[in-house]
Amino acid sequence: MVTCPLSTSYTHCVDLDRVVCGWYWCEIMKMPAKEQTRESGRQKELAQRRVLDSFTRAKRLRRQLEALEQDNFQEDPHANLVLLKKKLPQFDSNEDTPTTKKRKKRGDHFKQRFRKTFHMLVEEEQLSMNEPPNYLTCCMPHSPAPQRKFCAVCGFPSNYTCVACGARYCCTKCLGTHLDTRCLKWTA
Amino acid sequence: MAAPTVILDNGAYHVKIGLASDKDPRHIPNCISKSKSERRKQFIGNQIEDCRDLSALYYMLPFQKGYLVNWDVQRQVWDYMFGKELLGLECPDTTAVVTEPYFNFSSIQEAMNEIFFEEYQFKALLRINAGTLSAHKRKSENPEHRCCLIVDSGYSFTHIAPYYNSQKVAEAIFRVNVGGKLLTNHLKEIISYRQLHVMDETYVMNQVKEDVCYVSSQFYKDMEIAKLKGKENTVCREYVLPDFHTVKRGFVKEDGSKQKPNEQIVRMNNERFAVPEILFHPSDISIQEKGISEAIVHSISATPKEMHPHLYRNIVLTGGNCAFPGVKERVEKDVRSLAPVEYDVQVTLPPNPVTYAWEGGKTMTESKEFSKLTVSKKQYEEEGQNICFDKFDV
Repeated sequence: MVTCPLSTSYTHCVDLDRVVCGWYWCEIMKMPAKEQTRESGRQKELAQRRVLDSFTRAKRLRRQLEALEQDNFQEDPHANLVLLKKKLPQFDSNEDTPTTKKRKKRGDHFKQRFRKTFHMLVEEEQLSMNEPPNYLTCCMPHSPAPQRKFCAVCGFPSNYTCVACGARYCCTKCLGTHLDTRCLKWTA
Repeated sequence: MAAPTVILDNGAYHVKIGLASDKDPRHIPNCISKSKSERRKQFIGNQIEDCRDLSALYYMLPFQKGYLVNWDVQRQVWDYMFGKELLGLECPDTTAVVTEPYFNFSSIQEAMNEIFFEEYQFKALLRINAGTLSAHKRKSENPEHRCCLIVDSGYSFTHIAPYYNSQKVAEAIFRVNVGGKLLTNHLKEIISYRQLHVMDETYVMNQVKEDVCYVSSQFYKDMEIAKLKGKENTVCREYVLPDFHTVKRGFVKEDGSKQKPNEQIVRMNNERFAVPEILFHPSDISIQEKGISEAIVHSISATPKEMHPHLYRNIVLTGGNCAFPGVKERVEKDVRSLAPVEYDVQVTLPPNPVTYAWEGGKTMTESKEFSKLTVSKKQYEEEGQNICFDKFDV
Protein backbone atom coordinates (compact mmCIF):
# COMPACT_ATOMS: atom_id res chain seq x y z
CA MET A 1 0.00 0.00 0.00
CA VAL A 2 1.50 3.30 -1.13
CA THR A 3 0.18 6.78 -0.81
CA CYS A 4 0.42 9.01 -3.75
CA PRO A 5 2.61 11.98 -2.91
CA LEU A 6 0.78 14.39 -5.15
CA SER A 7 -2.76 13.63 -4.28
CA THR A 8 -4.40 12.64 -1.08
CA SER A 9 -6.14 9.63 -2.48
CA TYR A 10 -4.93 6.18 -1.50
CA THR A 11 -3.99 3.71 -4.12
CA HIS A 12 -3.99 0.00 -3.71
CA CYS A 13 -1.01 -1.38 -5.54
CA VAL A 14 2.05 -0.49 -7.53
CA ASP A 15 2.57 -2.29 -10.75
CA LEU A 16 5.22 -0.87 -12.97
CA ASP A 17 4.47 -3.00 -15.99
CA ARG A 18 0.89 -2.06 -16.30
CA VAL A 19 -0.29 1.37 -15.39
CA VAL A 20 -2.92 0.42 -12.94
CA CYS A 21 -2.44 2.68 -10.04
CA GLY A 22 -3.16 6.33 -9.89
CA TRP A 23 0.00 7.05 -8.02
CA TYR A 24 2.33 5.85 -10.75
CA TRP A 25 0.26 7.73 -13.27
CA CYS A 26 0.58 10.92 -11.21
CA GLU A 27 4.32 10.47 -11.06
CA ILE A 28 4.66 10.43 -14.78
CA MET A 29 2.27 13.18 -15.58
CA LYS A 30 3.27 15.41 -12.69
CA MET A 31 -0.33 16.29 -12.41
CA PRO A 32 -2.79 16.13 -9.59
CA ALA A 33 -4.27 12.68 -9.59
CA LYS A 34 -7.74 13.94 -8.95
CA GLU A 35 -8.13 15.36 -12.39
CA GLN A 36 -6.75 12.25 -13.98
CA THR A 37 -9.02 9.82 -12.30
CA ARG A 38 -12.09 11.74 -13.34
CA GLU A 39 -12.70 10.14 -16.67
CA SER A 40 -15.33 11.14 -19.12
CA GLY A 41 -16.50 8.41 -21.48
CA ARG A 42 -17.74 10.96 -23.90
CA GLN A 43 -14.42 12.77 -24.12
CA LYS A 44 -12.53 9.53 -24.43
CA GLU A 45 -14.68 8.52 -27.35
CA LEU A 46 -14.29 11.91 -28.95
CA ALA A 47 -10.53 11.71 -28.75
CA GLN A 48 -10.54 8.36 -30.51
CA ARG A 49 -12.72 9.53 -33.34
CA ARG A 50 -11.01 10.63 -36.49
CA VAL A 51 -12.37 13.41 -38.63
CA LEU A 52 -12.02 12.79 -42.34
CA ASP A 53 -10.52 15.54 -44.43
CA SER A 54 -12.23 16.75 -47.58
CA PHE A 55 -9.90 14.76 -49.83
CA THR A 56 -10.82 11.45 -48.23
CA ARG A 57 -14.47 12.38 -48.31
CA ALA A 58 -14.26 13.08 -52.03
CA LYS A 59 -12.49 9.76 -52.52
CA ARG A 60 -15.22 7.88 -50.69
CA LEU A 61 -17.88 9.63 -52.70
CA ARG A 62 -16.17 8.78 -55.96
CA ARG A 63 -15.98 5.16 -54.98
CA GLN A 64 -19.67 5.14 -54.15
CA LEU A 65 -20.56 6.58 -57.53
CA GLU A 66 -18.31 4.14 -59.34
CA ALA A 67 -20.07 1.29 -57.59
CA LEU A 68 -23.33 2.47 -59.13
CA GLU A 69 -21.91 1.70 -62.59
CA GLN A 70 -21.05 -1.88 -61.78
CA ASP A 71 -22.75 -4.67 -63.74
CA ASN A 72 -22.50 -7.35 -61.09
CA PHE A 73 -21.72 -7.38 -57.43
CA GLN A 74 -21.34 -11.11 -57.07
CA GLU A 75 -18.69 -13.41 -58.44
CA ASP A 76 -19.15 -15.13 -61.75
CA PRO A 77 -21.02 -18.32 -60.81
CA HIS A 78 -19.24 -20.20 -63.59
CA ALA A 79 -15.81 -18.82 -62.77
CA ASN A 80 -14.38 -22.10 -61.56
CA LEU A 81 -15.96 -24.22 -64.25
CA VAL A 82 -13.52 -23.34 -67.00
CA LEU A 83 -11.94 -26.78 -67.17
CA LEU A 84 -15.26 -28.50 -67.17
CA LYS A 85 -16.53 -26.45 -70.06
CA LYS A 86 -14.16 -27.94 -72.60
CA LYS A 87 -15.46 -31.44 -72.08
CA LEU A 88 -19.03 -30.44 -72.69
CA PRO A 89 -20.58 -31.08 -76.09
CA GLN A 90 -21.24 -27.87 -77.95
CA PHE A 91 -24.89 -27.24 -78.70
CA ASP A 92 -24.60 -26.93 -82.43
CA SER A 93 -21.39 -28.84 -82.97
CA ASN A 94 -22.85 -31.25 -85.50
CA GLU A 95 -24.89 -28.68 -87.37
CA ASP A 96 -22.50 -26.18 -88.84
CA THR A 97 -18.98 -26.80 -87.75
CA PRO A 98 -17.39 -24.91 -90.64
CA THR A 99 -19.13 -21.60 -89.89
CA THR A 100 -18.25 -21.63 -86.23
CA LYS A 101 -14.65 -22.26 -87.16
CA LYS A 102 -14.69 -19.36 -89.57
CA ARG A 103 -16.28 -17.07 -87.01
CA LYS A 104 -13.66 -17.89 -84.47
CA LYS A 105 -10.93 -16.88 -86.85
CA ARG A 106 -12.62 -13.61 -87.63
CA GLY A 107 -13.24 -13.00 -83.97
CA ASP A 108 -9.56 -13.22 -83.20
CA HIS A 109 -8.64 -10.60 -85.72
CA PHE A 110 -11.46 -8.51 -84.41
CA LYS A 111 -10.39 -8.73 -80.83
CA GLN A 112 -7.03 -7.25 -81.60
CA ARG A 113 -8.30 -4.30 -83.56
CA PHE A 114 -11.36 -3.27 -81.69
CA ARG A 115 -10.79 -4.44 -78.20
CA LYS A 116 -10.87 -1.17 -76.36
CA THR A 117 -12.15 -0.34 -72.95
CA PHE A 118 -14.42 2.59 -72.41
CA HIS A 119 -11.58 4.43 -70.77
CA MET A 120 -9.38 3.97 -73.84
CA LEU A 121 -12.13 5.24 -76.10
CA VAL A 122 -12.52 8.41 -74.08
CA GLU A 123 -8.77 8.97 -74.13
CA GLU A 124 -8.71 8.49 -77.85
CA GLU A 125 -11.48 11.03 -78.18
CA GLN A 126 -9.50 13.50 -76.09
CA LEU A 127 -6.47 13.12 -78.32
CA SER A 128 -8.30 13.08 -81.61
CA MET A 129 -9.16 16.79 -81.51
CA ASN A 130 -12.57 16.10 -82.99
CA GLU A 131 -14.46 19.31 -83.32
CA PRO A 132 -16.99 19.87 -80.61
CA PRO A 133 -19.72 18.79 -80.07
CA ASN A 134 -18.49 15.36 -79.08
CA TYR A 135 -18.79 12.95 -76.18
CA LEU A 136 -16.71 15.13 -73.90
CA THR A 137 -18.43 18.43 -74.56
CA CYS A 138 -22.04 17.34 -74.34
CA CYS A 139 -22.15 16.65 -70.61
CA MET A 140 -24.24 18.79 -68.31
CA PRO A 141 -22.84 21.53 -66.10
CA HIS A 142 -23.61 21.86 -62.39
CA SER A 143 -27.11 22.69 -61.40
CA PRO A 144 -27.45 26.24 -60.10
CA ALA A 145 -29.84 25.04 -57.39
CA PRO A 146 -28.26 24.08 -54.05
CA GLN A 147 -27.87 20.41 -53.33
CA ARG A 148 -30.72 18.87 -51.38
CA LYS A 149 -29.87 16.86 -48.30
CA PHE A 150 -31.18 13.49 -47.30
CA CYS A 151 -30.50 11.24 -44.38
CA ALA A 152 -27.97 8.60 -45.31
CA VAL A 153 -29.81 6.07 -43.17
CA CYS A 154 -33.52 6.51 -43.78
CA GLY A 155 -33.66 8.74 -46.86
CA PHE A 156 -35.85 11.46 -45.42
CA PRO A 157 -34.82 15.13 -45.56
CA SER A 158 -32.04 15.73 -43.07
CA ASN A 159 -30.78 18.69 -41.10
CA TYR A 160 -27.55 17.45 -39.55
CA THR A 161 -24.12 16.38 -40.71
CA CYS A 162 -21.95 13.71 -39.15
CA VAL A 163 -18.85 15.48 -37.84
CA ALA A 164 -16.50 12.66 -38.68
CA CYS A 165 -17.40 11.69 -42.21
CA GLY A 166 -19.78 14.35 -43.50
CA ALA A 167 -22.73 12.01 -44.06
CA ARG A 168 -26.17 13.44 -43.43
CA TYR A 169 -28.57 12.25 -40.75
CA CYS A 170 -31.98 13.33 -39.54
CA CYS A 171 -32.29 12.22 -35.92
CA THR A 172 -30.25 10.71 -33.11
CA LYS A 173 -31.62 7.29 -33.89
CA CYS A 174 -30.29 7.47 -37.43
CA LEU A 175 -27.01 8.90 -36.18
CA GLY A 176 -26.64 5.87 -33.91
CA THR A 177 -27.22 3.51 -36.81
CA HIS A 178 -24.81 5.48 -38.94
CA LEU A 179 -22.06 5.41 -36.33
CA ASP A 180 -22.53 1.69 -35.79
CA THR A 181 -22.47 0.77 -39.44
CA ARG A 182 -21.00 3.08 -42.00
CA CYS A 183 -19.20 5.98 -40.40
CA LEU A 184 -15.47 5.64 -41.02
CA LYS A 185 -15.81 2.14 -42.32
CA TRP A 186 -14.23 1.27 -45.64
CA THR A 187 -11.88 4.19 -45.42
CA ALA A 188 -8.76 2.22 -46.23
CA MET B 1 -41.53 -9.01 -103.07
CA ALA B 2 -39.33 -6.19 -101.88
CA ALA B 3 -36.21 -7.02 -99.95
CA PRO B 4 -36.85 -7.31 -96.23
CA THR B 5 -35.56 -4.64 -93.87
CA VAL B 6 -34.64 -5.38 -90.30
CA ILE B 7 -34.77 -2.62 -87.71
CA LEU B 8 -32.43 -3.10 -84.81
CA ASP B 9 -32.72 -0.62 -81.98
CA ASN B 10 -29.60 -1.75 -80.23
CA GLY B 11 -30.16 -0.63 -76.66
CA ALA B 12 -27.68 -1.25 -73.88
CA TYR B 13 -30.27 -3.17 -71.88
CA HIS B 14 -32.88 -4.35 -74.36
CA VAL B 15 -32.59 -4.79 -78.09
CA LYS B 16 -35.77 -3.91 -79.93
CA ILE B 17 -35.65 -5.90 -83.13
CA GLY B 18 -38.12 -6.72 -85.86
CA LEU B 19 -38.67 -6.70 -89.59
CA ALA B 20 -40.19 -3.56 -91.06
CA SER B 21 -43.22 -5.69 -91.95
CA ASP B 22 -43.78 -6.65 -88.30
CA LYS B 23 -46.28 -4.75 -86.24
CA ASP B 24 -44.27 -4.70 -83.05
CA PRO B 25 -40.64 -5.39 -82.29
CA ARG B 26 -39.38 -8.12 -80.04
CA HIS B 27 -37.66 -7.17 -76.84
CA ILE B 28 -34.49 -9.12 -76.31
CA PRO B 29 -32.24 -8.49 -73.30
CA ASN B 30 -28.90 -7.42 -74.73
CA CYS B 31 -26.76 -9.61 -72.55
CA ILE B 32 -25.54 -13.07 -71.80
CA SER B 33 -26.60 -14.18 -68.38
CA LYS B 34 -25.47 -16.94 -66.12
CA SER B 35 -27.55 -18.50 -63.43
CA LYS B 36 -26.44 -20.02 -60.18
CA SER B 37 -28.66 -23.03 -60.62
CA GLU B 38 -27.78 -23.96 -64.20
CA ARG B 39 -24.08 -24.39 -63.98
CA ARG B 40 -23.48 -25.58 -67.49
CA LYS B 41 -25.40 -23.14 -69.55
CA GLN B 42 -25.19 -19.54 -70.58
CA PHE B 43 -28.34 -17.77 -71.61
CA ILE B 44 -28.13 -15.49 -74.62
CA GLY B 45 -30.71 -12.74 -74.81
CA ASN B 46 -34.24 -13.93 -74.14
CA GLN B 47 -33.18 -17.56 -73.62
CA ILE B 48 -33.23 -16.52 -69.98
CA GLU B 49 -36.99 -16.95 -70.12
CA ASP B 50 -36.36 -20.69 -69.97
CA CYS B 51 -34.41 -20.37 -66.77
CA ARG B 52 -36.42 -21.11 -63.69
CA ASP B 53 -34.21 -19.72 -60.98
CA LEU B 54 -33.45 -16.09 -61.69
CA SER B 55 -31.91 -15.30 -58.34
CA ALA B 56 -28.38 -13.88 -58.33
CA LEU B 57 -28.27 -13.68 -62.10
CA TYR B 58 -24.85 -12.79 -63.45
CA TYR B 59 -24.79 -10.44 -66.40
CA MET B 60 -22.32 -10.03 -69.21
CA LEU B 61 -23.21 -6.82 -70.99
CA PRO B 62 -21.86 -5.64 -74.33
CA PHE B 63 -22.28 -2.00 -73.40
CA GLN B 64 -20.33 0.05 -70.92
CA LYS B 65 -21.53 3.53 -70.05
CA GLY B 66 -23.76 3.40 -73.10
CA TYR B 67 -21.10 2.50 -75.67
CA LEU B 68 -20.40 -0.81 -77.28
CA VAL B 69 -17.13 -2.19 -75.96
CA ASN B 70 -17.63 -5.87 -75.38
CA TRP B 71 -17.85 -7.11 -78.94
CA ASP B 72 -17.65 -10.81 -78.13
CA VAL B 73 -20.86 -10.65 -76.15
CA GLN B 74 -22.59 -8.41 -78.66
CA ARG B 75 -21.71 -10.73 -81.53
CA GLN B 76 -23.14 -13.73 -79.74
CA VAL B 77 -26.38 -11.88 -79.10
CA TRP B 78 -26.57 -10.73 -82.71
CA ASP B 79 -25.74 -14.20 -84.02
CA TYR B 80 -28.55 -15.57 -81.92
CA MET B 81 -31.05 -12.93 -83.01
CA PHE B 82 -30.30 -13.07 -86.72
CA GLY B 83 -30.11 -16.85 -86.65
CA LYS B 84 -32.71 -19.51 -87.15
CA GLU B 85 -33.85 -19.53 -83.57
CA LEU B 86 -35.27 -16.05 -83.73
CA LEU B 87 -35.59 -14.13 -86.98
CA GLY B 88 -33.89 -16.42 -89.46
CA LEU B 89 -32.53 -13.57 -91.55
CA GLU B 90 -30.97 -14.05 -94.93
CA CYS B 91 -28.48 -11.29 -94.33
CA PRO B 92 -27.23 -10.86 -97.94
CA ASP B 93 -30.79 -10.03 -99.03
CA THR B 94 -31.63 -7.83 -96.08
CA THR B 95 -31.26 -4.14 -95.40
CA ALA B 96 -30.44 -3.27 -91.81
CA VAL B 97 -31.28 -0.18 -89.79
CA VAL B 98 -29.15 -0.07 -86.66
CA THR B 99 -29.26 2.53 -83.90
CA GLU B 100 -26.30 4.01 -82.12
CA PRO B 101 -25.82 6.39 -79.23
CA TYR B 102 -25.13 10.07 -79.87
CA PHE B 103 -21.49 11.01 -80.43
CA ASN B 104 -20.50 7.41 -80.89
CA PHE B 105 -16.73 6.94 -80.91
CA SER B 106 -15.31 6.60 -84.38
CA SER B 107 -13.56 3.30 -83.75
CA ILE B 108 -16.88 1.80 -82.70
CA GLN B 109 -18.46 3.14 -85.86
CA GLU B 110 -15.75 1.54 -87.97
CA ALA B 111 -16.22 -1.76 -86.22
CA MET B 112 -19.96 -1.59 -86.80
CA ASN B 113 -19.53 -1.06 -90.53
CA GLU B 114 -17.07 -3.86 -90.74
CA ILE B 115 -19.26 -6.33 -88.89
CA PHE B 116 -22.43 -5.54 -90.75
CA PHE B 117 -20.90 -5.52 -94.22
CA GLU B 118 -18.05 -7.98 -93.98
CA GLU B 119 -19.18 -10.48 -91.42
CA TYR B 120 -22.95 -10.55 -91.74
CA GLN B 121 -22.82 -9.29 -95.34
CA PHE B 122 -25.95 -7.22 -95.20
CA LYS B 123 -27.19 -5.88 -98.51
CA ALA B 124 -27.41 -2.31 -97.25
CA LEU B 125 -27.01 -0.55 -93.97
CA LEU B 126 -28.27 2.54 -92.23
CA ARG B 127 -26.71 3.50 -88.93
CA ILE B 128 -28.62 6.21 -87.14
CA ASN B 129 -29.29 7.67 -83.69
CA ALA B 130 -32.34 6.27 -81.98
CA GLY B 131 -33.46 9.82 -81.27
CA THR B 132 -33.45 10.64 -84.97
CA LEU B 133 -35.84 7.77 -85.58
CA SER B 134 -38.08 9.08 -82.80
CA ALA B 135 -37.98 12.57 -84.29
CA HIS B 136 -38.89 11.11 -87.65
CA LYS B 137 -41.82 9.29 -86.14
CA ARG B 138 -42.99 12.42 -84.40
CA LYS B 139 -42.73 14.41 -87.62
CA SER B 140 -44.74 11.85 -89.53
CA GLU B 141 -47.48 11.95 -86.89
CA ASN B 142 -47.55 15.72 -86.53
CA PRO B 143 -46.26 17.25 -89.76
CA GLU B 144 -47.26 20.75 -88.63
CA HIS B 145 -44.47 20.79 -86.02
CA ARG B 146 -41.12 21.59 -87.53
CA CYS B 147 -39.06 21.34 -84.37
CA CYS B 148 -39.12 18.72 -81.71
CA LEU B 149 -37.10 17.97 -78.63
CA ILE B 150 -36.40 14.30 -77.99
CA VAL B 151 -35.66 13.21 -74.44
CA ASP B 152 -34.19 9.72 -74.63
CA SER B 153 -33.72 8.28 -71.18
CA GLY B 154 -32.25 4.82 -71.39
CA TYR B 155 -30.27 2.30 -69.42
CA SER B 156 -26.92 4.10 -69.38
CA PHE B 157 -27.75 7.77 -69.67
CA THR B 158 -30.26 10.35 -70.78
CA HIS B 159 -29.86 12.48 -73.87
CA ILE B 160 -31.70 15.69 -74.67
CA ALA B 161 -31.66 16.32 -78.41
CA PRO B 162 -33.41 19.11 -80.31
CA TYR B 163 -34.41 18.45 -83.92
CA TYR B 164 -35.30 20.77 -86.73
CA ASN B 165 -37.04 19.15 -89.71
CA SER B 166 -35.80 15.76 -88.46
CA GLN B 167 -32.24 17.09 -88.49
CA LYS B 168 -30.53 17.13 -85.15
CA VAL B 169 -29.06 20.31 -83.76
CA ALA B 170 -25.78 18.73 -82.71
CA GLU B 171 -24.37 21.59 -80.64
CA ALA B 172 -27.46 21.56 -78.44
CA ILE B 173 -27.44 17.86 -77.59
CA PHE B 174 -26.67 17.21 -73.96
CA ARG B 175 -26.17 14.17 -71.84
CA VAL B 176 -27.25 13.58 -68.26
CA ASN B 177 -25.28 10.69 -66.80
CA VAL B 178 -28.26 9.10 -65.12
CA GLY B 179 -29.94 6.04 -66.55
CA GLY B 180 -31.91 3.00 -65.52
CA LYS B 181 -28.85 1.06 -64.51
CA LEU B 182 -27.80 3.67 -62.01
CA LEU B 183 -31.31 3.81 -60.57
CA THR B 184 -31.49 0.04 -60.12
CA ASN B 185 -28.05 -0.07 -58.55
CA HIS B 186 -28.93 2.76 -56.22
CA LEU B 187 -32.15 1.04 -55.20
CA LYS B 188 -30.22 -2.15 -54.54
CA GLU B 189 -27.74 -0.26 -52.45
CA ILE B 190 -30.24 1.51 -50.21
CA ILE B 191 -32.44 -1.56 -49.75
CA SER B 192 -29.38 -3.62 -48.85
CA TYR B 193 -28.40 -1.05 -46.24
CA ARG B 194 -31.84 -0.46 -44.80
CA GLN B 195 -33.58 -3.82 -45.03
CA LEU B 196 -32.10 -6.94 -46.52
CA HIS B 197 -29.12 -7.80 -48.64
CA VAL B 198 -30.09 -7.71 -52.29
CA MET B 199 -26.84 -6.56 -53.90
CA ASP B 200 -26.68 -9.70 -56.05
CA GLU B 201 -30.29 -9.52 -57.18
CA THR B 202 -30.07 -7.08 -60.06
CA TYR B 203 -32.80 -8.83 -62.01
CA VAL B 204 -35.25 -8.94 -59.14
CA MET B 205 -34.60 -5.40 -57.98
CA ASN B 206 -35.04 -4.11 -61.50
CA GLN B 207 -38.49 -5.67 -61.46
CA VAL B 208 -39.20 -4.06 -58.10
CA LYS B 209 -38.18 -0.72 -59.56
CA GLU B 210 -40.39 -1.16 -62.60
CA ASP B 211 -43.34 -2.33 -60.51
CA VAL B 212 -43.51 0.20 -57.70
CA CYS B 213 -41.36 3.25 -58.40
CA TYR B 214 -42.96 6.44 -59.62
CA VAL B 215 -42.02 10.04 -60.25
CA SER B 216 -43.50 12.41 -57.72
CA SER B 217 -44.77 15.84 -58.68
CA GLN B 218 -44.91 16.94 -55.04
CA PHE B 219 -41.67 15.57 -53.69
CA TYR B 220 -41.53 17.05 -50.18
CA LYS B 221 -45.23 16.45 -49.62
CA ASP B 222 -44.81 12.80 -50.50
CA MET B 223 -41.90 12.71 -48.06
CA GLU B 224 -44.25 13.93 -45.33
CA ILE B 225 -46.82 11.28 -46.27
CA ALA B 226 -44.14 8.59 -46.24
CA LYS B 227 -43.30 9.53 -42.65
CA LEU B 228 -46.82 8.79 -41.43
CA LYS B 229 -47.71 5.50 -39.84
CA GLY B 230 -50.40 2.97 -40.62
CA LYS B 231 -53.25 3.67 -42.98
CA GLU B 232 -52.40 7.34 -43.43
CA ASN B 233 -49.22 6.42 -45.25
CA THR B 234 -50.53 6.03 -48.78
CA VAL B 235 -47.05 5.81 -50.31
CA CYS B 236 -45.76 2.68 -48.64
CA ARG B 237 -46.04 -0.64 -50.45
CA GLU B 238 -45.01 -4.07 -49.34
CA TYR B 239 -43.41 -6.00 -52.13
CA VAL B 240 -43.18 -9.77 -52.00
CA LEU B 241 -39.91 -10.97 -53.47
CA PRO B 242 -39.95 -14.07 -55.65
CA ASP B 243 -38.33 -17.19 -54.24
CA PHE B 244 -38.58 -19.01 -57.61
CA HIS B 245 -40.35 -21.98 -56.08
CA THR B 246 -43.80 -20.85 -55.05
CA VAL B 247 -43.52 -17.24 -56.20
CA LYS B 248 -42.16 -16.91 -59.73
CA ARG B 249 -42.46 -13.18 -59.98
CA GLY B 250 -42.57 -10.55 -57.28
CA PHE B 251 -45.74 -8.59 -56.65
CA VAL B 252 -47.17 -5.88 -54.45
CA LYS B 253 -48.85 -7.22 -51.36
CA GLU B 254 -52.45 -6.24 -51.04
CA ASP B 255 -53.49 -4.18 -48.05
CA GLY B 256 -54.33 -6.13 -44.95
CA SER B 257 -53.39 -9.57 -46.23
CA LYS B 258 -51.40 -11.58 -43.73
CA GLN B 259 -47.77 -12.40 -44.18
CA LYS B 260 -47.35 -15.99 -45.18
CA PRO B 261 -44.51 -18.01 -43.76
CA ASN B 262 -41.32 -18.01 -45.84
CA GLU B 263 -42.39 -14.89 -47.62
CA GLN B 264 -39.70 -12.26 -48.04
CA ILE B 265 -40.94 -8.73 -48.07
CA VAL B 266 -39.32 -5.47 -49.01
CA ARG B 267 -40.99 -2.38 -47.64
CA MET B 268 -40.88 0.28 -50.31
CA ASN B 269 -41.57 3.61 -48.70
CA ASN B 270 -39.76 6.81 -49.70
CA GLU B 271 -37.61 4.66 -52.01
CA ARG B 272 -40.57 4.51 -54.36
CA PHE B 273 -40.17 8.10 -55.49
CA ALA B 274 -36.72 9.03 -54.18
CA VAL B 275 -35.04 6.67 -56.65
CA PRO B 276 -36.54 8.03 -59.90
CA GLU B 277 -36.06 11.50 -58.42
CA ILE B 278 -32.36 11.15 -59.27
CA LEU B 279 -33.33 11.70 -62.91
CA PHE B 280 -34.51 15.16 -61.99
CA HIS B 281 -31.96 15.90 -59.26
CA PRO B 282 -28.75 13.95 -59.85
CA SER B 283 -27.24 16.05 -57.07
CA ASP B 284 -29.33 14.07 -54.56
CA ILE B 285 -26.67 11.37 -54.78
CA SER B 286 -23.91 13.93 -55.37
CA ILE B 287 -23.70 13.67 -59.14
CA GLN B 288 -23.12 17.33 -59.81
CA GLU B 289 -25.18 17.73 -62.95
CA LYS B 290 -28.44 19.28 -63.98
CA GLY B 291 -31.45 17.02 -63.97
CA ILE B 292 -33.70 16.26 -66.94
CA SER B 293 -35.95 19.30 -66.61
CA GLU B 294 -33.09 21.74 -66.23
CA ALA B 295 -31.27 19.97 -69.05
CA ILE B 296 -34.25 20.49 -71.35
CA VAL B 297 -34.15 24.23 -70.70
CA HIS B 298 -30.36 24.24 -71.03
CA SER B 299 -30.50 22.43 -74.33
CA ILE B 300 -33.21 24.66 -75.77
CA SER B 301 -31.28 27.77 -74.79
CA ALA B 302 -28.35 26.48 -76.85
CA THR B 303 -30.44 26.51 -80.04
CA PRO B 304 -31.17 29.57 -82.22
CA LYS B 305 -33.73 31.80 -80.55
CA GLU B 306 -36.32 31.37 -83.31
CA MET B 307 -36.64 27.69 -82.45
CA HIS B 308 -37.31 28.12 -78.73
CA PRO B 309 -41.12 28.45 -78.79
CA HIS B 310 -41.42 25.51 -81.18
CA LEU B 311 -39.20 23.26 -79.12
CA TYR B 312 -41.01 24.05 -75.87
CA ARG B 313 -44.23 23.16 -77.61
CA ASN B 314 -43.03 19.77 -78.76
CA ILE B 315 -41.14 17.83 -76.11
CA VAL B 316 -41.26 14.07 -76.64
CA LEU B 317 -40.29 11.61 -73.91
CA THR B 318 -38.81 8.29 -75.02
CA GLY B 319 -36.79 5.50 -73.47
CA GLY B 320 -37.41 3.06 -70.66
CA ASN B 321 -37.19 5.55 -67.80
CA CYS B 322 -40.11 7.49 -69.23
CA ALA B 323 -42.28 4.50 -68.43
CA PHE B 324 -42.29 5.50 -64.74
CA PRO B 325 -45.75 6.75 -63.85
CA GLY B 326 -45.83 10.51 -63.45
CA VAL B 327 -42.84 11.41 -65.62
CA LYS B 328 -44.87 13.44 -68.05
CA GLU B 329 -46.61 15.51 -65.38
CA ARG B 330 -43.32 16.14 -63.61
CA VAL B 331 -41.45 17.26 -66.73
CA GLU B 332 -44.36 19.46 -67.69
CA LYS B 333 -44.50 21.05 -64.26
CA ASP B 334 -40.74 21.60 -63.96
CA VAL B 335 -40.19 22.91 -67.47
CA ARG B 336 -43.21 25.18 -67.14
CA SER B 337 -41.74 26.75 -64.03
CA LEU B 338 -38.32 27.21 -65.67
CA ALA B 339 -39.36 28.30 -69.16
CA PRO B 340 -40.11 31.91 -70.11
CA VAL B 341 -43.75 32.68 -69.44
CA GLU B 342 -44.65 33.59 -73.02
CA TYR B 343 -43.87 30.12 -74.37
CA ASP B 344 -46.29 27.24 -74.44
CA VAL B 345 -44.98 24.05 -72.87
CA GLN B 346 -46.29 20.77 -74.19
CA VAL B 347 -44.91 17.39 -73.27
CA THR B 348 -45.86 14.23 -75.13
CA LEU B 349 -45.44 10.73 -73.83
CA PRO B 350 -45.96 8.15 -76.58
CA PRO B 351 -48.08 5.12 -75.69
CA ASN B 352 -44.95 3.00 -75.64
CA PRO B 353 -41.86 5.13 -74.99
CA VAL B 354 -39.56 2.09 -75.23
CA THR B 355 -40.45 1.09 -78.77
CA TYR B 356 -41.00 4.62 -80.11
CA ALA B 357 -37.63 4.74 -81.85
CA TRP B 358 -38.20 1.33 -83.40
CA GLU B 359 -41.57 2.46 -84.72
CA GLY B 360 -39.81 5.51 -86.11
CA GLY B 361 -37.46 3.19 -87.95
CA LYS B 362 -40.45 1.40 -89.35
CA THR B 363 -41.99 4.59 -90.72
CA MET B 364 -38.63 5.66 -92.05
CA THR B 365 -38.22 2.49 -94.10
CA GLU B 366 -41.61 3.19 -95.64
CA SER B 367 -40.63 6.68 -96.77
CA LYS B 368 -39.42 7.43 -100.28
CA GLU B 369 -36.05 8.78 -99.27
CA PHE B 370 -35.11 5.69 -97.33
CA SER B 371 -33.00 4.14 -100.06
CA LYS B 372 -31.00 7.36 -100.38
CA LEU B 373 -30.01 7.21 -96.73
CA THR B 374 -28.55 3.74 -96.78
CA VAL B 375 -25.13 2.60 -97.88
CA SER B 376 -25.16 -0.55 -99.98
CA LYS B 377 -22.63 -3.29 -99.72
CA LYS B 378 -21.39 -2.45 -103.18
CA GLN B 379 -20.74 1.14 -102.23
CA TYR B 380 -18.95 0.01 -99.12
CA GLU B 381 -16.75 -2.31 -101.11
CA GLU B 382 -15.82 0.47 -103.51
CA GLU B 383 -15.33 3.35 -101.14
CA GLY B 384 -14.78 1.71 -97.78
CA GLN B 385 -15.29 3.35 -94.42
CA ASN B 386 -15.32 6.90 -95.79
CA ILE B 387 -18.70 6.70 -97.43
CA CYS B 388 -20.19 5.51 -94.18
CA PHE B 389 -18.71 8.43 -92.27
CA ASP B 390 -20.01 10.83 -94.90
CA LYS B 391 -23.47 9.41 -95.15
CA PHE B 392 -24.37 8.35 -91.65
CA ASP B 393 -25.00 11.29 -89.41
CA VAL B 394 -24.32 9.89 -85.96
